[in-house]
Amino acid sequence: MPSNNKKNRVADLSALLKGLNEAGIEFILVGGLAVVVQGVPVTTFDVDVVHRQTDKNVKKLLRFLKSIDAYQRRSDDKVIEPNEKDLKGKGHVLLTTRFGPLDVLAAIEEGRGFDGLLADTVEIEFQGHIIHVLSLETIVALKRGSKDPKDQYRLPILEETLRQMREEKEDDE
Amino acid sequence: MVKSSDTQGNMQFGVDKGLISMFLKMSPEERLQANDNAVRTIAELRNAFKQQKKSSRRSKRSA
Repeated sequence: MPSNNKKNRVADLSALLKGLNEAGIEFILVGGLAVVVQGVPVTTFDVDVVHRQTDKNVKKLLRFLKSIDAYQRRSDDKVIEPNEKDLKGKGHVLLTTRFGPLDVLAAIEEGRGFDGLLADTVEIEFQGHIIHVLSLETIVALKRGSKDPKDQYRLPILEETLRQMREEKEDDE
Repeated sequence: MVKSSDTQGNMQFGVDKGLISMFLKMSPEERLQANDNAVRTIAELRNAFKQQKKSSRRSKRSA
């Protein structure tokens, strides 16, 4: 049973990512960490993933979440562990884990889930595993329509990174 | 503060182009590591700030 002892929880987002890979979970990295790995100089405090919602994958994910003492992130002190029903649902499951915050999302903007996003990912090798990361191009396109102040603040940094990436690619060709 | 023309060229609309260029030279693993380090440093600074606030409250009470 996970305890709500915040003092024991030191964020290590790389370890969280490594754990997801080693558990053989199918997921797409989205959100802040997805832009960080592609070269955007921002800091993020959580891992956001869109998972494949098959029975097998959800079972693997649930087993992994239990192993890292995951429970729902709430403003009160209630400790509620994630369950299969939530992970198969259409909403966001926002968790606290031993390695830091983890948001498990059924879908992101425009209702796009794992299958709808996979074609727009880039593969990145991380500690011997291949991770699917939502491409910076797609993230920029999605964020251009966002009204979230955090997205609006970050958009010029994302756009400039994308511009420099394209310039580098052109120089290489 | 007056910025040099070089700095101004690298900073547009609050975007630090030099920082982006530096980040693009790193590998994805190095970028993750940099983020983890930043998160840890921020947590340490926040804790230090909290501790400092607590101890100044205590010393005010005892004064």
